[in-house]
Amino acid sequence: MSEGLLSLALPAALLWPLLLMLRVPLLAALADRRRPALQIDGLWCSAPLPALGMALVLDEGALALDWWLLGGHWVLEGARGQLLIVTALLWLLAGAYARGYMAGEQARAVAGDRAATSRLTRFALLWPLTLSGNLLLLVAEDIASFYLGFAVMTFAAYGLVVNSATRDAHTGGRAYLVMAVLGEGLILAGLLWGAGSAETTTLGGLREGMLEATGGAWIGLLLWLGFGVKAGVIGLHIWLPLAHPVAPTPASAVLSGAMIKAGLVGWLATLPLGEAGAGEAFVWLGRAMLVAGLAAAIGAALYGVCQRHPKTVLAYSSVSQMGIITALVAMGLVAPALWPELSVALVLFAAHHGLTKGGLFLGVGIGEHPPRLPAWLLWLLLALPALSLTGALASGLVSKWAVKSVLYEGGYSAVVTWLSLAAVGTTALMARTLWCQWQSERQARTEGLEPLLSPMPLAWLGTLLAALTLPWWLDEALIIRGWPPLTDRLGLLWPLGLGLTASMVAWLVSRHRPLRLAPRLPPGDLWWLLVRAAQWLHARGQVSLARLATAQGRWVAWWVAREHKAMRMLDGMIHVESWLRRHAAVLMMGVAAGLALLMLMSN
Amino acid sequence: MNGGLLLAALGTSLLAAVVIFLLPERAFRARTGVNLGAAVIKLSLVAWMVWGLRLGHEYAVAFPVLEGLPFVLRADALGIMFAGLSSLLWLFTTVYAIGYLEDSPNRKRFFGFFSLCVASTLGISLAGNLFTFLIFYELLTLSTYPLVVHRGTAKALAAGKVYLRFTLTAGLVLMIGMVALYALAGDIRFGQREILAGLGPEHQPLLVGLFWLLVAGFGVKAALVPLHGWLPRAMVAPAPVSALLHAVAVVKAGAFGIVRLVYDIYGIELSAELGVLHGLVAVAAVTIVFGSLRALAQQELKPRLAYSTVSQVAYIVLGVGLFGPLGTIAALSHLLHQGLMKVTLFFCAGNYAEELGIHRIDELDGAGRRMPLTSLAFTVGALGMIGVPPVVGFLSKWYLGIGAIQAGMPWVIAVLVTSSLLNAAYFLPILGRLWFRPGPDHGVGAWPGERRLGRFETHAWLLVPTMATALFSLMAGMLAGMPFSPLEWATQVTNAEYLR
Repeated sequence: MSEGLLSLALPAALLWPLLLMLRVPLLAALADRRRPALQIDGLWCSAPLPALGMALVLDEGALALDWWLLGGHWVLEGARGQLLIVTALLWLLAGAYARGYMAGEQARAVAGDRAATSRLTRFALLWPLTLSGNLLLLVAEDIASFYLGFAVMTFAAYGLVVNSATRDAHTGGRAYLVMAVLGEGLILAGLLWGAGSAETTTLGGLREGMLEATGGAWIGLLLWLGFGVKAGVIGLHIWLPLAHPVAPTPASAVLSGAMIKAGLVGWLATLPLGEAGAGEAFVWLGRAMLVAGLAAAIGAALYGVCQRHPKTVLAYSSVSQMGIITALVAMGLVAPALWPELSVALVLFAAHHGLTKGGLFLGVGIGEHPPRLPAWLLWLLLALPALSLTGALASGLVSKWAVKSVLYEGGYSAVVTWLSLAAVGTTALMARTLWCQWQSERQARTEGLEPLLSPMPLAWLGTLLAALTLPWWLDEALIIRGWPPLTDRLGLLWPLGLGLTASMVAWLVSRHRPLRLAPRLPPGDLWWLLVRAAQWLHARGQVSLARLATAQGRWVAWWVAREHKAMRMLDGMIHVESWLRRHAAVLMMGVAAGLALLMLMSN
Repeated sequence: MNGGLLLAALGTSLLAAVVIFLLPERAFRARTGVNLGAAVIKLSLVAWMVWGLRLGHEYAVAFPVLEGLPFVLRADALGIMFAGLSSLLWLFTTVYAIGYLEDSPNRKRFFGFFSLCVASTLGISLAGNLFTFLIFYELLTLSTYPLVVHRGTAKALAAGKVYLRFTLTAGLVLMIGMVALYALAGDIRFGQREILAGLGPEHQPLLVGLFWLLVAGFGVKAALVPLHGWLPRAMVAPAPVSALLHAVAVVKAGAFGIVRLVYDIYGIELSAELGVLHGLVAVAAVTIVFGSLRALAQQELKPRLAYSTVSQVAYIVLGVGLFGPLGTIAALSHLLHQGLMKVTLFFCAGNYAEELGIHRIDELDGAGRRMPLTSLAFTVGALGMIGVPPVVGFLSKWYLGIGAIQAGMPWVIAVLVTSSLLNAAYFLPILGRLWFRPGPDHGVGAWPGERRLGRFETHAWLLVPTMATALFSLMAGMLAGMPFSPLEWATQVTNAEYLR
């Protein structure tokens, strides 16, 4: 029974956003020039509903589509099924938020602003397309569908990033696209190599084949780096702080909350995590991943606290949190015995991060358009997800405790210490975010308040609620360690205390001696270095190409000169013909006489 | 009956050519009718033969021309696949050309040689031995020359001169190779691989030399580096001719020749034994990267697409060089896939040129708003070239990749990925300009030369073939597992003919 339902529900869940996408140009075409269509309405917001419903209601199952690409195989199960619920929920809440956020844009479009109409149409069209890609990669078990979902999501999100068409948006978009294309190339290389060695078209076959293939660890490295672009691995993260802030706030929320997890999903799907007999090379890969993850967790925090815009700080916080996730995934290769429990804790952590980060981003927009709430309540609500992310309460506390206790029991207390240091960094980042929001909110209060019951505040409150109570409504089985006992709670809260103290000290210091670091540390860090290097390379390349062109020109000219010479020689030979004609009679008589002489002599 | 169908299919276009040459210049409707009628009839006959082959019939006809040198027409699985592609794309190109050349002079000349070109392509696909193949190959050269120089400008005539130099020299080289092969082993029909395989090892150096000679001859039409120089020059031709040259007929004929050479004359085992496959892969790899690099440097749309063709057709040669069924499937399916995607791109380029006067890439800003359907088709084609699923180009890359692993050449994957990245580097900016930059419809600048050709964004005769081929590119990818998809077809041909 449920198999039959699944075979209807899965395609419907994926088709519904696509149909809503197709509705956008239809509405635009049917609408009057003077009254542009209301694109972001209730129907548009319902895009993730079928997927959410399916994931909540149906049990695990699989769907085979032999005619699709290389043989489609879609499943609803396990870790990805849980992430599907969280992803669909975040998209739903962010979509409702967008209804309020884009209201200003709608008003401008109705008033006749053509640019606003195109921005709105692009947003309304690309949002469901990105969503469908995100949903597909969470259900795809065959490699082609997975890659399809990943690619559609990545390319469609470009349009969301550059939606506002400002200069910063285009810079962010360029960084996003360049890194995304590089990532796709690495992923393609890894997938082709792995699938070819394993002779398979499914992700499960790829994971198994990688263990036995020659150069399996290299395949793993390619896939780690390729998906790492999306996941913000250090060195490949440079697009994140440039792209996430410039997108419209609801798009930032899904970029940081849901789409960044696609990198994690890629790792879970393709890397042989938790396999005991993986071999030394994989352990080394795991160690490299661990180091990179911890470096990202701490480095991004240090860089992020110097940023000015709250969304940029939050973007660096995403890099930092994904660094923690990278380190945890690395444990699957370094310590496969821990993996069964660690993977559950990891999924909880990732889900918690997704919703909480989404809530934080939506909160930035709320800070800019505050609803009619008393100030203390507003700031308490804004601070709650921040505290949860640092691991002080609710879902953050539970997920952090789960991770730490599994690692402690496995004997990796060093990793736990590093993760706690990362938590200090997270606290500092959260403090910085709230401080930046405070600065911009003071200005917004003077401009007027929003009614409380409109889509934006409601969606934000819904996200907060969902984020804080996540483990209880998602799946009780995820809470593998329950609440930490009181004695351990101090051990979990010291990073928070240290971080708050450090932030206080930094704030007091900066009031007396302002450091003015912000202009010297632009968002995107290494990106600007790479741009300089690329420009230098380009200039060198132009010089070499110019030299090559002149050399080629000389070569061609030489041959053309040779050809002209040959043609002139041929022309010269034609003159012989007229000479022969003039002296024909004499020549013929001479030839006849010569022949006669020869015949006489041979007799 | 058997041979009659072959001759009828061939004769349709030949007859159409004769009729068009006899009709007066101003007989527009009659000429349109003859064109479309011939295209539809040909497509039906080819479809009939496809069906017949599936049921197990055989179609062959042979006439002796000289003692021991017959003219052979034979429909085998590979040939009929190529014939099917060219007939289908022919129909679309005919419709497009009729719309494109509206109000142009010298249409009688154009369509007459157009039909001769069709006939030659069909002859190439149905040829049963190298002699017949070459007859139609040369006929293709001669019938495409007037199409290349159609506009009659100095630039067009210069391009035609370069085209003839390259292709006639290639024809000469091919003839030398053919004569040498004949002297060595007599008449070889396509499929009689045992003849050359049965020659002793003392002939191997000669066989290798002849192989490269023939590859050089085919490689000119297939635009392998360094023999590709004619192709970017030939961009001065009208868009339907470019679509023809690049997607349907000429470059495909060259690639098809190499496919026939390796699979049906030498046989894949002999080729592997002689060690020529590594050379093919190397040449293909160089062409793939070089073509993409040159495409990056182009500022005009059609030359960029031309270099992209140079790069993409080399995928077919790459697939041929990868030993194993997967490489073969990649090569044969990419023959069809590349045709579909490239013809879409050229149709779009022609639409932009006709409707808005756009020739340079930087004039494309904002064209997505003015011509959304054409730009959507272009997006589909471009994404297919980059290798993004579900457009069909991804499947070719997939099979090439796993075929490379099967053949023991993992470095080919690096070439494929580099090619994808370069394709992204020169197609994504175009897409960005189309969809994300403000253009004349937003009040920024003006179109170079706008003509309102139709009720929708452009004339229906130009728009419908473009949408149709884009849709086919998408469907061929999404429904690749269905029985009549190009991928399934290529798999069946490989299994039937080349797996022993």
